Amino acid sequence: MFSSGTIYSNFTPLVKSPVIGYRISGSDVLDILKKLTKKNFSKDHSVIKVVELYNYNGDILDKCSVVYFKSPKSFTGEDVCEIFLHGSPLIASQLEQTLKNFNIPGLRLAKNGEFSFRSVVNSKNSLKQAKAINAIISNESFSSLEYNKKLLFGGDILSGLAPLREDIINLFSEITASIDFVDDEDFNFKQIKKKVSAFFLKCNNILLDNKSKINQKNICKVMLIGPVNVGKSTLFNKLIDKDRAIVTDIKGTTRDILSNEFIFDGKKFEIFDTAGQRSKQGKIEKYGYKKAQSISKDIDHFFVLADKNTKKSDIKQLFDDFSVGDNHTFILTKSDQYQYKSKNIKISQNNDRELTMKKIKVSQIHKKYVSYKNQKIDFNLEEIDFLERILEYEHDIVKENDILIIAQLMRNILDDFSFEFGYINNEDVYDRVFSNFCIGK
Amino acid sequence: MFHVEHYDVIVIGAGHAGIEAANISEKYGLKTALITKNYSDLGKLSCNPSIGGVGKTHIASEVDILGGVICKIGDKSAIHYRVLNLSKGPAVWGVRAQIDRDLYSKNMQKYVRSSKIDLIEDEAINIIEKNNKIIGVECANTGKIKSKAVILTTGTFLNGKIYFGKETKEAGRIGNSSSKELAKFINKNFKTMRLKTGTPPRIYSKSINYDILEPQPSENNGIFLSYFTKQNTNKNINCYITKTNNKTHKIIRDNLDKSAMYSGIIKSQGVRYCPSIEDKITKFGDRNGHNIFLEPEGLNSELVYPNGISNSLDKKIQLKFLRSIKGLERCEVDQFGYAVEYDSVDPRELKNNFETKKIENFFLAGQINGTTGYEEAAGQGIYAAINAAIKIKKIKFNNKVFERDNSYIGVLVDDLTKLGVTEPYRMFTSRAENRLKLRTDNSYERFTDIINPNTFNKNDFTLISKNIKDEKKIINKLKLLKFTPNSLMKKNIKVKKDGKIRNGFEVLKFLDPTPIKFKEFFNINISQKLLTKIFFDSKYEVFYEREKKSYDQLNKNKNMKLTNIDFSQIPSLSKEILEKLNKHKPENLNDAGKISGITPSALFQIVKHKKVKGTKIA
Repeated sequence: MFSSGTIYSNFTPLVKSPVIGYRISGSDVLDILKKLTKKNFSKDHSVIKVVELYNYNGDILDKCSVVYFKSPKSFTGEDVCEIFLHGSPLIASQLEQTLKNFNIPGLRLAKNGEFSFRSVVNSKNSLKQAKAINAIISNESFSSLEYNKKLLFGGDILSGLAPLREDIINLFSEITASIDFVDDEDFNFKQIKKKVSAFFLKCNNILLDNKSKINQKNICKVMLIGPVNVGKSTLFNKLIDKDRAIVTDIKGTTRDILSNEFIFDGKKFEIFDTAGQRSKQGKIEKYGYKKAQSISKDIDHFFVLADKNTKKSDIKQLFDDFSVGDNHTFILTKSDQYQYKSKNIKISQNNDRELTMKKIKVSQIHKKYVSYKNQKIDFNLEEIDFLERILEYEHDIVKENDILIIAQLMRNILDDFSFEFGYINNEDVYDRVFSNFCIGK
Repeated sequence: MFHVEHYDVIVIGAGHAGIEAANISEKYGLKTALITKNYSDLGKLSCNPSIGGVGKTHIASEVDILGGVICKIGDKSAIHYRVLNLSKGPAVWGVRAQIDRDLYSKNMQKYVRSSKIDLIEDEAINIIEKNNKIIGVECANTGKIKSKAVILTTGTFLNGKIYFGKETKEAGRIGNSSSKELAKFINKNFKTMRLKTGTPPRIYSKSINYDILEPQPSENNGIFLSYFTKQNTNKNINCYITKTNNKTHKIIRDNLDKSAMYSGIIKSQGVRYCPSIEDKITKFGDRNGHNIFLEPEGLNSELVYPNGISNSLDKKIQLKFLRSIKGLERCEVDQFGYAVEYDSVDPRELKNNFETKKIENFFLAGQINGTTGYEEAAGQGIYAAINAAIKIKKIKFNNKVFERDNSYIGVLVDDLTKLGVTEPYRMFTSRAENRLKLRTDNSYERFTDIINPNTFNKNDFTLISKNIKDEKKIINKLKLLKFTPNSLMKKNIKVKKDGKIRNGFEVLKFLDPTPIKFKEFFNINISQKLLTKIFFDSKYEVFYEREKKSYDQLNKNKNMKLTNIDFSQIPSLSKEILEKLNKHKPENLNDAGKISGITPSALFQIVKHKKVKGTKIA
């Protein structure tokens, strides 16, 4: 479990970049700022100040922007400051060392998720909202992003499963009434069972519908193939915008396979660069080439790159090795160096990213492989989990002929719903019983 | 000057709560007095002439096994039986008996007089206490009587008001004057609340045309209120069913301004599960008539209790709408229907042993605690007296039986003292989370630990001991028998081919529960009653275990620290519960459970929350 104390952590990655951000949260924030700046820090809420920070030697650490958020009007609800250092990991490590040397009791590096945790504990965000923040950051598709944003900014009530509450209360209250008030109305067991089945059918439909949406493709996988030195890596770097990317999770070496994601025009791609094809391959390259071949069956579209030196037989070999069909775009590279007569797409390293994208028609390619129908997802994974959980009862309930056991299992569903999406108590059930049925003598 | 006799327990009021309280108190060896204004009030059925029903029988059967009298005297005085939910299994069977009012009073009076209870015919006018501890009771004629404990069971006597249309009258119930002094004492010391109930008119039997009505014959089929009853030898008679019609509805609708409840004279909240005919017609008027059950008040009674038409209409209108109903065209009314408003004590003034928090050894039981029904009253009477005995005599008693996972009395006590009431409280089986276990046919098993020989006559005790022994023998035999899935398939019993060897008890649930089949299969003789019981034990076993697990989990987590939990993040907790948790800031789960209004399900939610989410909040 998390414990108390003032905590700090970087909120941008510790890599060379224009800026590295640090967040400090807790009751010692003003004290820390005083020590760092060697003067009383202004208590103005949410005002950016450019200040000089000093390290443990008394030397200047950095001159940078600092914002102070006064409790409770901060993300965590505590006193918070955010420091925007010049983006050197060395300056960052100096700052951390300086903080350590202050020897303030309880001051420590934050654990994973601890800022969010404090925001929940201090009622700045509900648990659902904290989860939605998480979901938003790690979102895979724009449609689920929209849904999670709704949850985050709209509160719990917007859970798409809220309408099921009515079904559950109605069903459970009819079952309850048929047992406790058996001689007050004509209850029909067969009818009740039909309603139970209808309820599960509804849950099933919701689930299937949304599962297919969740599994629905939202990413287009493309692969660059071509002979060595044709300019695959150049195009790769241009597409992923390597110059602007602060972090990349580019794995492997050029001799293996490079892959990365990029977004263009709101559309998501996963792109694979391959080791070049050449007649005399080194062992590693052979391995890389083989690996690229094995991935190729999941590839939607190939960019086949060639230049003036490329032989027709090489291209034929590539098409065979990667089982390329119609799903390809033929691209001639180095148009600044060579003159091409063909009508094929021609690119040059001098083209900017925007122009390159246009030339090779990435938007159209995305459209071809990713369905745009019904992209709107109504539920998040937690809710899908819940649906799957209650559907586990379906078999037992539907085959059951003892209404008491059905009632017991339905009660479990009600409790589960209650736990996840809001309180249902006995009184809610009785209210429904007495308003739907004429009970009592 | 005090009366010469010094009592351990004085019970004030001789209704269902009072009688059970005095009876058990005396059985537990306490010197007991029972004060009633009139001997003739003893054991009066003040409302409908029936005992039992779903939920109600459940409490009554527990009172029966604890040594109470309501079921035994009920069976002795029954003239008609029905078993509700017979098709649904014994967890919700509800035996209902129509009771001959005169017989019941007579039998009850005979029983009480033959006991060692001191009957005092007098009016209790005050409670005597010193430094918030009971000293005794002051009576109008007898004067002051000393007692270690007092159990007050005076029903709806507090500030009772009766309404017929626009006519009002002060009284607890017709024929009783309110006991003002005592009321003052209660009002001064405890928080009270205003409740409302109603009663139908009483009709002369000979003015009803039964020939054109549908009879409902008695099902006297061997299922009785009491575990100990072997047969009912009274003449059994029919009930009859009739219905309201459009004409009736029109009369009532046109005259709602002449109803005490609808004209705004009565402001307190009506009872949802006991609606007046005005309510039914306003809310469900489009129905094709509402059933009326014509229940005889006794073998020799001239009166019939028309169940289903309680109302507070003007007397003339009552007669008019009654005569619009099939079979009642020429009916004559003895006593018109009326609504009653009365005060009850907020049951949260009670500790969970039913002793008031404010005055030591002062117990309240029955309708005064905001409940309704004979059975609910009886359960409270016996519960309060057992607790008085525990306190005064320091007797050892396994209180576990009165936890809500073990008994309906436990559910009732927990609901009342923790949640309080907003309308008269009636027991429903759905109030019990553990319904499959709280069966009418197994109360002896749930209460085995505390069955007290002193509370039974010799025959009854021998019977119950023998039955328990017989059952154990059969269960032991069954558990020794082993069956493989293959051997079961050969006998046409479909089980999973899981290679699991099942014992006889586990196989029982797959059989037709008839003694013949049972003998055929296991070669053991068994009575139908016992077979039904153990058949359902076998069937529900898996659910008992599940339930037990969750309660065990609760017990295991009693010391779970709650200091760093933010309760507001548990979506399943109600606002009221949240407020309470935040106000009391319980240290651990055990403390949380002691806060009034915190339900076990709330505790489950906390445990679940902490287990599932507490350690991995993003």
